[in-house]
Amino acid sequence: MYKFFVLVKKEIQELLTPQMLVPLVVVVLVFIFIGRVISGQTAKIAAPQPVAVMDLDNSATSQSMIQIFDKSNLMVDSYPTQDVNQVIAQAEQKGEKVVVVIPAGFENGLKAQTQQKIEVHTIFQNFSVFGSRASQSLAGALAAVNEGLSNQYLSKALPGVNPINIKQPVVSDDYTIVGERQAHVSPAAVSGFITSQTTFIPIILFLVIVFASQLIATSIASEKENKTLETLLSCPVNRKLIIASKLVGAGLVALLTAAVYLVGMRYYLAGLTGASSGAVDTASQAAIAQLGLTFNAGDYILLGLSLFFGILVALAIAIILGSFAQDTKSAQGVVSPLMVLVLVPYFLTLFLDISTLSPGLKVLVYAIPFSHPFLAAPNILLHQTQNVWYGIAYMAALFLVFVYLASKIFVSDRILTMRLSFKKKL
Amino acid sequence: MAKALVAENLTKIYGKIEAVKDVSFEINENEVFALIGPNGAGKSTTLRILATVLTPTSGNALIYGLDIKNDADKVRQIISYLPEEAGAYKNLSGLTYLKFMAALFNNDKRKQAEYVDFASKIAGLGVRLKDKVKTYSKGMTRKLLLARTVMTRPKLAILDEPTSGLDVINSLEIRKMIKDLSRQGMAVLLSSHNMLEIEFLSDRVGIIHQGKIHDIGTPEQLKQEYSAKNLEEVFMALTQKA
Repeated sequence: MYKFFVLVKKEIQELLTPQMLVPLVVVVLVFIFIGRVISGQTAKIAAPQPVAVMDLDNSATSQSMIQIFDKSNLMVDSYPTQDVNQVIAQAEQKGEKVVVVIPAGFENGLKAQTQQKIEVHTIFQNFSVFGSRASQSLAGALAAVNEGLSNQYLSKALPGVNPINIKQPVVSDDYTIVGERQAHVSPAAVSGFITSQTTFIPIILFLVIVFASQLIATSIASEKENKTLETLLSCPVNRKLIIASKLVGAGLVALLTAAVYLVGMRYYLAGLTGASSGAVDTASQAAIAQLGLTFNAGDYILLGLSLFFGILVALAIAIILGSFAQDTKSAQGVVSPLMVLVLVPYFLTLFLDISTLSPGLKVLVYAIPFSHPFLAAPNILLHQTQNVWYGIAYMAALFLVFVYLASKIFVSDRILTMRLSFKKKL
Repeated sequence: MAKALVAENLTKIYGKIEAVKDVSFEINENEVFALIGPNGAGKSTTLRILATVLTPTSGNALIYGLDIKNDADKVRQIISYLPEEAGAYKNLSGLTYLKFMAALFNNDKRKQAEYVDFASKIAGLGVRLKDKVKTYSKGMTRKLLLARTVMTRPKLAILDEPTSGLDVINSLEIRKMIKDLSRQGMAVLLSSHNMLEIEFLSDRVGIIHQGKIHDIGTPEQLKQEYSAKNLEEVFMALTQKA
């Protein structure tokens, strides 16, 4: 064991270099910076959006509509002039993104119960997510106006009848069932909550697998390139210990790297979704808990085990792939098949219900070891923990197979001859 | 005299290429044996096989009576191998590298400290030992690696081009060091392109060409046999004949 720790220490010292740490810290700082900028922008956009309004009707109805605008997160800037182009030019200068023109005869038209059109001029200065926020707020305000007016019309036409009953004669009262549990909550709320809770899992897995496999492949390639591997293989060290130390060293560094990245990403995503993070209300949360859709300590351990074995399988495959690399430049290329193996289940589990796939496709998806960690979180939440255990057992078996193959390469001279035969160096 | 190494009919085949063909030779205790030959002659492959890095396709060798195929772990305890153009771990300091290698040879901390002290003296890098290997010149790295190779006082040192990349002064120092260590009991198997070095260092020489050993003898014997003034002429005569 002493030599194992000596080798692991060397691996970590070789991998944790300033060249590796500086870009990592820079990327994290950039994530934090972007997160803060977006967070600031989100707060700015959550504030009332300025809207230029030209009221050419100047009636009681048009004024009450403007009041609704004011109450609907819009900051109305009224323009007395009648020249639309002039208003647009002035609004643009003031940073107002939307110009609303209420035509003359608006009130009379409504009284005659004819559909009225108001002109909405949207000034696009960029195409970012926030670029059309003012027009979205206006659409919301117009929906409120239409709701109010149609309620008025219906109350007038059908006194004593609740207009809502006319407009929505049928509504759903949502119950969601998970396994044997049932709760009074909409499936959309459940789905939104689960997504918010499990988004990070595939990101963690993907980051760790990518980092770890690249690190381990580069480590082997670098040893071959510098002939330190030849020296190491001639030393009194069990070659299986060399593999084990590389697995542990790369795994630890990759976990550290992924953790640092995740801190940065958390800031970034918090900035991006800050405004909507509290989307699930307390009642829905209680209903979700009633469904058992929350992780307890045991669930986290099971999830962690699934992720851990996924990482181990990736590392074992990367060791074999890395053995084919002739130098550090080619090391990145040889691990690309592994990236595909991670990406395929990532996207499949993101967009498809695996249980509804054809038997052939299902076998294919389950044969990819990385499908299991991606499916672990939903399986745990759906109380199908036996599936998670099967996945762990499968990954453990695959890990042993790949480690066995890797040790076969290392204990024989294939680890060197694969390169030697390519270069024909004798 | 006891045999440090007995190689019998070593053969190594890579696909269709027969890199080493029936190579046989012996090395006595305290002896410096050199393999000389042109590029691609099979020198490095022979050295790698004897260093237990590669497995021979056929044939075998005994190092101090230990079988390189069946007793490889025990063989690795008593040999030390310096590959041609080898590097050290670039992100470690020279000193950390020596400590790391010492720990692989012995669990005893005192023994490790002895190895590192000895290597530090031989390397002659002074305070630069505390610098990272990536800041070293080719010559400095080679001296560090040579020091690492002999620090455990192996019974057999296998040195592939030991002075490649070193200047004249450093090369002379290293040759003297190898000679001294061999007088103290270390057998040496080396390969080199430098015939002057071979003449100075070697007790006996094996000339290898196209994977086969064509002749073995002391430098004087070979020169007499081929009526040559130096080993270069012997080498030319043999390779042209082959």
